[in-house]
Amino acid sequence: MPIPPKLQEIVDDFASMSREEKLETLIAYAESFPALPDWLKEKRDSMEAVPECMTPVFLFGEKQPDGGVHFYLDIPPQSPTVRGLASILANGLDGCTPEEILTVPGDFYLSMNLQEAVSQQRLNGFVGVLAHMKHEAVRLLENK
Amino acid sequence: MSYVHPEYLVDTEWVAAHLDDANVRIIESDEDPLLYAIGHIPGAVQVDWFSTLQHPLRRDFLTKETFEEVNSSLGIANDTAVVFYGDKSNWFACYALWLFQYYGHQNVKIMNGGRLKWEQEKRPLVKEVPSYARTTYKAKAADKSIRAFRDEVLKQSNGKKPLVDVRSPKEYSGELISMPAYPQEGATRGGHIPGAVSIPWAQAVNEADSTFKTPEELRALYEGKNIKSGEEVIAYCRIGERSSLTWFVLKYLLGYRNVKNYDGSWTEWGNLVDAPIEK
Repeated sequence: MPIPPKLQEIVDDFASMSREEKLETLIAYAESFPALPDWLKEKRDSMEAVPECMTPVFLFGEKQPDGGVHFYLDIPPQSPTVRGLASILANGLDGCTPEEILTVPGDFYLSMNLQEAVSQQRLNGFVGVLAHMKHEAVRLLENK
Repeated sequence: MSYVHPEYLVDTEWVAAHLDDANVRIIESDEDPLLYAIGHIPGAVQVDWFSTLQHPLRRDFLTKETFEEVNSSLGIANDTAVVFYGDKSNWFACYALWLFQYYGHQNVKIMNGGRLKWEQEKRPLVKEVPSYARTTYKAKAADKSIRAFRDEVLKQSNGKKPLVDVRSPKEYSGELISMPAYPQEGATRGGHIPGAVSIPWAQAVNEADSTFKTPEELRALYEGKNIKSGEEVIAYCRIGERSSLTWFVLKYLLGYRNVKNYDGSWTEWGNLVDAPIEK
């Protein structure tokens, strides 16, 4: 299945980077995280607690007038890896339709070779955030 | 009343005063390894609980030889005082300390309060990665007296001896196993090892600044649940990191002689065919 062009571009960029560049870029993604708008804060606070080992990821998809989806995210700064991974997905999938989001393959990140910068284990964060985004895409398709 | 082995704990002030001490190496060990790259204590090196401390193939720790290589490359000598600190109330700092002890490094310490307290006190964090002159580190044979394997845990459970489950209450009750986002860390069954008492790790630390609770509070916490110093105690969690914090508290802050960390923890037990489970 095809990877949406913007996300593919990010994947290709990472693939060509050295380990240090990958780390720096991931940190830049983690640090360029926009603050959650006020109208979503109540929703975030009502979010179900996650087991303490995990990073609480708040994610909300909003359909734009052109049919594309914009994701709002909130992840604590103490978890820069998950923030970075989520920010890559939010950027790469910004403006995609719910249908396009649902077709993103779960292993889209393999060619980024990110495991040389953060361990394979941590890349599960990608799988988790993508699953969450697909969940939102389904909700938007059902018009909830 | 003071901690039984206070030499295993230093405060942020002590660390700040020993940044240039050649006999001290400061190690950051985090749940999220990117935190080190974002900023760490000046002069601190990093070990990652996964990419540094795990065996690359098997579910086990790095070999003794790799451990020697890691220490040699970080400029750690056999008598260097190694001070660990990290995020999440020092979970992974305690995990790294436990593993250093496993391979016989005696002079180890935890920086009380970890990364959180250092940040709260607005002490300096730098991005610069230091390098130290190489050493020739010699590790000891693995000390299995601090590590429990599943057969021992089963014996402990059958013998109705002390087992401490340090996970959150919902993991203990079996309501939660893990999030779908972390399939590798999951288990096919929920619940706890029969006979284990629930003493969540977090009860041993002060939420406000991640420091350990007072000796009195800690003693009341564990003795109140019948976890006493005379017997062999085994602690476990999901992958063995939160329980290494409890292991540290019982062994060094309260002075229990015989404490083991079951690093297989729930991700092994909850997948183990025929293992008894209580809910």
